[in-house]
Amino acid sequence: MTYSAQLSKPLVDYARTLREWSTSEARPYARAADTDHRPPANWADVLDTCPVPLGRVDLPEPQALPDFEEGYWVRALVFYESLNYGDIWVHPTLGGGIGHLVVESMGTPEQLEKWYEPVLERGFTTGFALTEPGFGSDTSQVSTTATRDGDNWVINGTKIYCSGGATAEYVVVFATVDKSLGAKGINAFVVPKDAPGFVVAKENEQKLGIRSWVTSELVFDHCVIPVENQLGWTPDGAATPRRSGQGGALGALAHNRPNMSAMCIGLGQASIDVTAGILAGQKAGFTPQRWQAVESELERMNAALERGRRMTFRAQYLVDQGKEDRAVSAAGKGYAPQTVERVIRRCMQLLGPEGTSQDLLLEKWYRDVKIMDIFEGSGQVQRIVVGRTLMGRLVG
Amino acid sequence: MNLSPDEEQEAVAELATSIATEIVSPAAREAEAAGAVPDKVWAQLVESGLTAPIPEELGGGGVPDAVTQLVAVERLAYGDPGITMAAVWSGAAGGLIARHGTPEQTERLRGLASSRDARAAVALFEGFGRGPAELATSVTVDGDSVRVQGRKVGVPFAAIADPLVVVGRDVRDGRLRAVVLASTDDGVGVDEMTRSIALDAAAMGSVTFDVTTTTHALLGGVDADGDALTSSVQHLRLLNAAAQIGLAQRAVEYAADYATTRIAFGTPIAGFQGVSFPLAEALMRLDAARLETKDVADRLDLGAGLGARDVDHAVSYASEVALEATRDSLQTLGGHGFITDHPVEIWYRSAAALAALDFDPTCSAFEPAL
Ligand SMILES: Cc1cc2nc3c(=O)[nH]c(=O)nc-3n(C[C@H](O)[C@H](O)[C@H](O)COP(=O)(O)OP(=O)(O)OC[C@H]3O[C@@H](n4cnc5c(N)ncnc54)[C@H](O)[C@@H]3O)c2cc1C
Repeated sequence: MTYSAQLSKPLVDYARTLREWSTSEARPYARAADTDHRPPANWADVLDTCPVPLGRVDLPEPQALPDFEEGYWVRALVFYESLNYGDIWVHPTLGGGIGHLVVESMGTPEQLEKWYEPVLERGFTTGFALTEPGFGSDTSQVSTTATRDGDNWVINGTKIYCSGGATAEYVVVFATVDKSLGAKGINAFVVPKDAPGFVVAKENEQKLGIRSWVTSELVFDHCVIPVENQLGWTPDGAATPRRSGQGGALGALAHNRPNMSAMCIGLGQASIDVTAGILAGQKAGFTPQRWQAVESELERMNAALERGRRMTFRAQYLVDQGKEDRAVSAAGKGYAPQTVERVIRRCMQLLGPEGTSQDLLLEKWYRDVKIMDIFEGSGQVQRIVVGRTLMGRLVG
Repeated sequence: MNLSPDEEQEAVAELATSIATEIVSPAAREAEAAGAVPDKVWAQLVESGLTAPIPEELGGGGVPDAVTQLVAVERLAYGDPGITMAAVWSGAAGGLIARHGTPEQTERLRGLASSRDARAAVALFEGFGRGPAELATSVTVDGDSVRVQGRKVGVPFAAIADPLVVVGRDVRDGRLRAVVLASTDDGVGVDEMTRSIALDAAAMGSVTFDVTTTTHALLGGVDADGDALTSSVQHLRLLNAAAQIGLAQRAVEYAADYATTRIAFGTPIAGFQGVSFPLAEALMRLDAARLETKDVADRLDLGAGLGARDVDHAVSYASEVALEATRDSLQTLGGHGFITDHPVEIWYRSAAALAALDFDPTCSAFEPAL
C-alpha cells in the first residue's frame, strides 16, 4: 500500500459522533466538574446518552470499543481526542487508571488473570503509585520499602499525586526491596484497597486544573500483602516477567504517553473551534488588517494541531504494527503539549477579557492542559529520551 | 544616558518591595477567594500612596514621574498581581481626574484619595485589538448635553465603581475624551459578573454604555486636551506591562530557588540546562521588556520621540514574556507546580488574564513551541 496518513471512514465517523456527543452532552457539565472537583453526580445518565460505545466499565455487561482497521492504539488516540474535545471530566468515569498496564507488562500469567483481565472484563480504576515527595522524574529514587516477612511483604512509605489512588480497586506500588541495589532493587506490588495499612492520606489535591480527576496521597503504614502480589513473582519465587522493576513501570507508560497528547489536541481543537465561532460573530468589530491577522492565527493554530496529530499517529501506528519505539513514543508525547498551551492562551487573547472569564471554558482548558507536559514524563524527560537516539545515554 | 535609578525611584522600589512581600503577597489567596482585597491590605496600599498618582494638595501621596510609577507597580505585582492591579486600576481613575480634571472635578478627589471604601475605575479596553486612537466608544457633545455610547470589557469594579471614568472618542473631531460617571448611573449596563481565570480581586466585568449626561461630566470640560489624555491612557497601558514584568520576575525567582533545592538524578535540577536555560532566557527577556517599558514611558512623559505603535509593542512584548516565563516557572516545579500548595499557578493564571486584557493580534504571532 502506498503512503497514506488518512484514517478509515468508519473511524472518522466514530470520531465525529463521539465529538458531537461530548460537545453537546458532556461539555455542559464541565464548569461544575471544575468547581465541585468531581464529575457530575448523574454522570452515568450522561454517558447513557452517547450513541456510540464508550468502553464503559460501570455497566453490568462490559462495553467494548468498536474495532477499526487502524488498530488498538491508533483508535485510542482518536478516542481520547474526541472524548476530551467535549471536556476532560468524562475520562476518569470510564475507569481510566494505568496500574493494570503495569500488571500487563510485568505480571505472570496467574497475575494477569487475577488483576489484568478483570479490568478488561469488568473495568475499574487502577492506581499507579510511583511518585513520592522526594522524586518524580528520577524514578531510581524510590524510598518506599518492601520488607519480606514470611509469606508476606510489608510496605512502608508515602506516595503522592497518585491518579485515582483513593478510588482504585488496587494500586500498583513501586517499592525497593534493597536500597543498596539502586534501581535494580525496585519492584512493583499490587496493593488492594482493603490491604491493612493502606491509608488514603489525602483524597484529592487542590490543583490548577483537571480538578475533577482524583489525585491522591497514599501512605503505606506497615501495609501487609501476600508475596504473590509482587509482580513477576509466584509463591515459589521469581517467574520470568516480560519486563521488571523500574523498566517495567516506564515501559507500561510508554504506550500510554501519546494518549496524553491526544487529550491536549482535543482541548486545543475545542478552544480553536469555540474561539472561531465567537469571532465570526464579531468580525465587524475588527479592522480589516486585524481580521486578516485573526484568520491567519486560526489557520496557523489548526496547522500546528495537525502536526501534533501526525506525531501521535506515527507513534501509535508503530505500536499497532508491533514496531514500538520508545523514542518515537516520547516524541509523540513531547511534541504537542507546549504548543497546545500556546494555542489555548492565544485563543483567550483573541477573545479579549471575556475569553479569560469563567463564562467560557477556555480558561479552564488552559488550566487543565498544563498537566499534560508534566505527568507521564515531563517535556524535558521526553526530550532526554529523544536525544538519546542521537547522542546515546550520557547521564540519567 | 542615565540608566541608574534616581533617589526617588530607589526609595519607591524599596517601599513597594517591602509592602509587596510583607503585606500583599501573604494576602494573595485570601483576596482571590473573596474576590476582593482584604480591607486592611487595601488601607495599607492606599496609605502608601503608591497606587494612586494624586497630588498632595488634593489629599494624595504625590505624583511620581512615569518611570517611577512603573517601578512601583512592578514591585507591588511581584507580591501579588490581583491585589496590586485592583488598587492600581482604582487609583488610575483618581490619577486621570487629578491630571485632567476641572477644578470642580479634582475637588471630589479629596474624599476619594483618603477613602478606604471607595472603588474607582477607568473603562478603557474594548477588545478587538483597539488602541486609544481606535476606540469605538463614542462621546457626543451637543450643547450642554453629552451622550456616551459603547461597550467596554475588563472594567475593574464594574458593578460598583464610582467614579467610573469612561474613555471614548468625540464623534465630531475624533479626539480622545473621558467622561466621569458611576457604575450605578442610568444607562450603564453591567453584564452579570462572573469570575475569571485570575485577578478576581479587581472584580472585572463587561459594561455597555448609553448614558446621557451634561458637560459637567466631561473630564477637563468641553475644551479638554485629547492628546494629553491619550498620553495618560497610554501610560495606564504600560502599568499593565509593568505588572506582567513584576509577576513574571517573581515566578522566575521562585522557580530558580526551587531548582536549587530539588534533587533529581543526583544533582539539584538547576544543574540541568533543560531547567536553567528557560529560566535564564526568561530573565533576559524580562530585562528587555523592563527596559522597553521604561524607555517608552519616559518618552511618553517627555511627549517626544515616540513611534505610533511603541506602546502597543511594549505591552505586547511584556505579555508574551510573562506568559512564557510563568509557564516555564511552573514547569520547573514539575507536578508540584500544578498543586496550589505553591503559588506559581497564580502567576501562570494572572499572566493569562493580563495578556488578554490589552491584546493586538498584529503585534505578535502565534508560534508553535516545536
Ligand atoms: C495531577 C497529577 C497526576 C499525577 N498522577 C500520577 C500517578 O498516577 N502516578 C504517579 O506515580 N505519579 C503521578 N503524578 C506525578 C508526576 O508523574 C510527576 O509530577 C512527574 O513525573 C514530575 O515529577 P516531579 O513533579 O517530582 O518533578 P521533578 O522530577 O522534581 O522535576 C522538576 C522539573 O525538573 C525537570 N527535570 C528533571 N530532571 C531533568 C533533567 N535530567 N533534565 C532536564 N530537566 C529535568 C522536570 O522536567 C521538571 O520540569 C501526577 C502528578 C500530577 C500533578
